[in-house]
Amino acid sequence: MNSLLRSKGFIATLLLVPGLIIILGVFILPMFYMLMISLREDMGQGAWTLASYAHLFKDTYYVQILWRTVRLSLYTVCVCLVLGFPVAMYMAQATPKMRGLITFLIISPHLISVVIRNFGWVVILGNNGFINNTLMSLDVISEPLRLLYNELGVVIGLSDSLIVYMVLAISTSLYAVDSSLYKAAGILGATRFKQFFSITLPLSIPGIFAGTTLVFSLAMSSFVTPALMGGTSVKVLPVLAYEQMMASLNWSLGAAIAFLLLGSTIGLVTLFTKLVETKRYKEVFSS
Amino acid sequence: MIREKKSRRPSVLGIITFFVVLMVISPLLIIIPTSFTSTGVLRFPPQGFSLQWYEKIFDRPEFIESFGFSLQLAIITAVIATVIGTLAALALHKYKPRGSGVISSLLLSPLTVPALIIGIAALLFFTRIGLAGTFLGLLLSHILISVPYVVRLVYTGLSTFDYTLERAASILGANPLRTFWDVTFPLIRPAVLSGCVFAFLTSFDNVTVSLFMISPSTTTLPMAIFNYMQESLTPLVASISSIVILLSLVFIFILERVYGLDRLFGSNSHAH
Repeated sequence: MNSLLRSKGFIATLLLVPGLIIILGVFILPMFYMLMISLREDMGQGAWTLASYAHLFKDTYYVQILWRTVRLSLYTVCVCLVLGFPVAMYMAQATPKMRGLITFLIISPHLISVVIRNFGWVVILGNNGFINNTLMSLDVISEPLRLLYNELGVVIGLSDSLIVYMVLAISTSLYAVDSSLYKAAGILGATRFKQFFSITLPLSIPGIFAGTTLVFSLAMSSFVTPALMGGTSVKVLPVLAYEQMMASLNWSLGAAIAFLLLGSTIGLVTLFTKLVETKRYKEVFSS
Repeated sequence: MIREKKSRRPSVLGIITFFVVLMVISPLLIIIPTSFTSTGVLRFPPQGFSLQWYEKIFDRPEFIESFGFSLQLAIITAVIATVIGTLAALALHKYKPRGSGVISSLLLSPLTVPALIIGIAALLFFTRIGLAGTFLGLLLSHILISVPYVVRLVYTGLSTFDYTLERAASILGANPLRTFWDVTFPLIRPAVLSGCVFAFLTSFDNVTVSLFMISPSTTTLPMAIFNYMQESLTPLVASISSIVILLSLVFIFILERVYGLDRLFGSNSHAH
């Protein structure tokens, strides 16, 4: 008994068991069970069938929702990239103290519930909100602009919550750039413009790549922001999945939507990876 | 000439950075003044000053109850997830068991799947085994999404740990438990504490998993706010949110002091 207790393998197993039970019982098994429900009749008990998936692709309604989810996620990636890149560049050349401050300011809102952040956006973008009130009191507009409960509202909300991933991914790759490269380029007469395109941009590609895939996958699966800032008119896959599960109680369709969401996200990220890689290989071989 | 250009470049980037940081924090900053409005309309800038929307929280028992419930749930989740995650990280780092690569990716696997999908799968499975809508089901799902963060943080914390200290303690006659409490634990405490606070916030903020796990008697605060917001938008949401923001700030400052938010996020962003 004593030697058993002292055996390393036994202790390690003992320490790992609680964690593995949680992962298997609350995640791995449920995922397999959900797959069964999406693929078999009578809640995973009956005959094998692809009816739930066929249902999703037969109806243009569902295909439209899938396309809208992808499109809004792509818009979000673009906004995060355009706004996040300058921030990452600024952080890369700032003093460590400034860098720490920006990191803190950009991460800490992320630790407060997305419901509350979206509520803040409702106050800013609503008909009586900050932007409309300011513009109307300045007589720039006579009627409030519609900034909320449409696709614009969803993209604003998603960009706000996901830009942190883009900034951190790009800035991490820029921190690694040797600053003497800029000095050398400057001595050799390269303009700022030239330096950006031949040093900063190529060396930040891994960061851009990581940030893009991260923001895209997180945008594809967000539920709260489309529900609160898109209203009923902007339905995306996660909202559809929720409705099928909780309102229509069509669980086999809900399970199929979950896998459609997972599959389309993984598929598009893989496609993007392949495209980027083949392009990189071509560059290597042509030069 | 070059020097002049150098000082000019950060300023353009600096302005953009300033506006992006403003964009990220303004939704939270704007809520607090809004909560003191004296009118019933949600507008900014707010009109008048009153505490009426704070008093009105007490007229809505569902917010008080769900606030207490969320706190309880988050504390229990944080404690259990921290114990489970710390034990697993110790086992992986110290004993390096066979197949530890597979085991660690298994332990981190919930981070690779969207929370919404985890919630749907858990609802289906829990319905089958009779846990759907129970407190235990909700708790288990919150523990699941918190454990990977704890494992990651504690594992990273252990990377600087010197195991000769443990050997020294055992040579001097300390038993394994005593060695853990007196030598190992004090040295990894910052990582464990950060894991605990992060687990607390993960549970306290969660909507996407709770969505499928709650029942009328087990509604969390974010879910109560979410449901209320879908029906009506009043300054009441602002006053409740202000309280949550202030409470969260306390925990965020603890995290920043003990561990550093940049390190915390650096390790998370790779996991998604």
